[in-house]
Amino acid sequence: MVTTMEIARRLRQIAFALVWSAPLAISAEPIEPPPQSPPAPPAAPGPATGLSDSAGLRATVFGTPPETMATLPAKVPLFEINLTLPWRLPVPEILWFDGKLRVWLSAQDKPAPLAIVISGTGDDGNTKTISVLRAALYGAGYHVLTMPSPTFPGFIVSTSSTGVAGDLMQDGHDLYAAMQQIVAHLPRKVRITDIDLLGFSLGGANAAIVKSIDAGEGKLKVHRVVMINPPVSLFSSVGRLDRLFAATIGPGETGVELLYRRLYAQLANLYRASDRLELNENFILSAAAATLKTDAEFSQAIALAYRLQLVDMFFIGDLYAKTGVVVDPEHPPKVRDSLEDVQRDLRAKPFADYFTRVFAPYYLKRRPEATSASLIAANRLDIIADALRTDGDYYAQTNSNDLILNRRELDWLQDTLGPRIVVYDHGGHLGEIGDRQQVADMLDMLAGRWPRSAQ
Amino acid sequence: MKAALVMSVGLLALCGCASQMVSIRAVPAQTPAADNAAAVANEAAFAEAVATESAAVEAVAPEAPPLLTPEDAPPMYTYDPWERFNRFAYRFNARFDEAIFLPVANTYRRAPRPVRAGVHNFFGNIAEIDSVINYTLQWRLKYGLRSLERLVINSTIGIGGLFDVATKFKLPGTATGFATTLAKWGMHPGPYLVIPLLGPSTLRDGVGFLADYGTEYGINVAGLYRGNVSWALGPVNAIDQRANIDFRYYSGGSPFEYETIRFLYVRRRLIEDVGLHAKDRQKKPAIDAPAGK
Repeated sequence: MVTTMEIARRLRQIAFALVWSAPLAISAEPIEPPPQSPPAPPAAPGPATGLSDSAGLRATVFGTPPETMATLPAKVPLFEINLTLPWRLPVPEILWFDGKLRVWLSAQDKPAPLAIVISGTGDDGNTKTISVLRAALYGAGYHVLTMPSPTFPGFIVSTSSTGVAGDLMQDGHDLYAAMQQIVAHLPRKVRITDIDLLGFSLGGANAAIVKSIDAGEGKLKVHRVVMINPPVSLFSSVGRLDRLFAATIGPGETGVELLYRRLYAQLANLYRASDRLELNENFILSAAAATLKTDAEFSQAIALAYRLQLVDMFFIGDLYAKTGVVVDPEHPPKVRDSLEDVQRDLRAKPFADYFTRVFAPYYLKRRPEATSASLIAANRLDIIADALRTDGDYYAQTNSNDLILNRRELDWLQDTLGPRIVVYDHGGHLGEIGDRQQVADMLDMLAGRWPRSAQ
Repeated sequence: MKAALVMSVGLLALCGCASQMVSIRAVPAQTPAADNAAAVANEAAFAEAVATESAAVEAVAPEAPPLLTPEDAPPMYTYDPWERFNRFAYRFNARFDEAIFLPVANTYRRAPRPVRAGVHNFFGNIAEIDSVINYTLQWRLKYGLRSLERLVINSTIGIGGLFDVATKFKLPGTATGFATTLAKWGMHPGPYLVIPLLGPSTLRDGVGFLADYGTEYGINVAGLYRGNVSWALGPVNAIDQRANIDFRYYSGGSPFEYETIRFLYVRRRLIEDVGLHAKDRQKKPAIDAPAGK
């Protein structure tokens, strides 16, 4: 009974193992012409893998090695909170399952500071990566609230006031409003002494923006922020991933089809040679690892993971903005309709298409003073450069081989944050989360014990 | 009477789940320390498995059928003539799971581990009967014999199947069923099918499931299937299965989840078919028919 669901779960895990959970790079933003931006990090886009090297690509796919993991608590209690937000836009029929904002709380039974963690691009608030941070923070005595990325489908539908995700300031305001609602509805026994924010990948940039909004409005009184592997220019980070896709998988659907055929044949041959009786999870994980050998193959895995998340965001944006790229605005698809062709179409489209055909048309119509160039410029971390430079409560952790950054962007982060950033020499993108050193540094930053030498 | 009670509780749950603005509920606690310790322990075994997988393909026996090439892969489209029904069934399953199945399974997961292990082993042992029969029908007598040994050992020393002692005696089990027997004798998976309450399947796998249940019912082990407690058997088995599955509908929020699950489910079964026919010495397994339009 229900063995079919078991299979579905295992297959989902393959998908995760092969792609999705490969801690995702990215920041959900356009590359158009490579950012022609006046201030900070200049235009030169650099190689498609940014600062990444072979080790960085592997760390990005495999994540933190378990033996270097910090000591984590034995048990972390968990509450699931579902909210219907008052400003929610009408939920399209085919997105019926995304109508509620789902966040996760692990509460201490005594007064404690609250750490709110924002997930990376396209991810929800209960992934493997975010669970490691939750455990580390909970173990250190924080109440922990983990939230989806504003680019996660469930967030876009339940919480976004536009339905068109990816605008740093707009997403920041939506996140900020949602956080106020959540904090207001927490059970009384959760006594909060202070609020800190954390985020990884795009979530890092989101967290910093939320703090800067709060600095003006003061409704949450956010204290410190730690950004983990943040992007600097969302556009150049995503542009890099689009180029990685084009370079390693090939443009359009043909490349995906070829990749699929190759993987299928490899898996089938491995399975047949293995003399096994069922295609189970262990086999799939080891077979996947056996087929991932070269830098190009690791790059493919990363690029595909990113593209699959983009597909969801693109589809939902097109549906809400009524831009008609793949969804007929007059006749939106219903539950009974096949979406296979739509998915296929979207897999072939880079972020540049989302930007020019959904994002820019939508925001240009609503912001008469804006231009494409100004939309691009507004999606850089340097829109809050002054706060990052002068406010001592912003911190960052990143890696010298993170593929979403290039040299100048990393230099800009170091120059802007000064002693409040630490750069590790390994880990690629998100491949050091939970590492002993990373956790120790993160906790010191949150507690105001950073930089240690100054003590 | 009991069915009516279950139905009405279920309906209430389905109606109630959309009404309030905020809902907070406890879910099973996470155990990060133990998880990481397990990951450390598994790493060496995993590395070894990776090496074995890589070596296995290179050391293919000369009489084996030729290796598959990318051209042999089925198309990315999946044969799904009943898509309209399937999509509604998928949505029904997702709603049922969220409102009833998953919460009940999560509650069940609070029962002590030995109790749950006992329940799991018990149903596993009953299913072993299907494995014995079907391995024999598939003419894979080595495995049939192994299943028979497991059945005998677990039913006796394992006290009616409550303990899986056979695995401790280095007799690990792998269940099989009538669906695999059909596959072995050449039946294609047929159209994709989402079975209400059960989940993703194909026509062949659905028939296989019914046959397996029919076998258990026909044999009527210990009078369970037609006795006083027969009504509880299905639900308890289902809850046990569900509690052991780490899957949640739409947790990724993707509008394309139906497509993704369908794609992966069918590909998995096709690859298993390739393995099933590996020893048949036929030139190439016929894998192209069931998938693709």
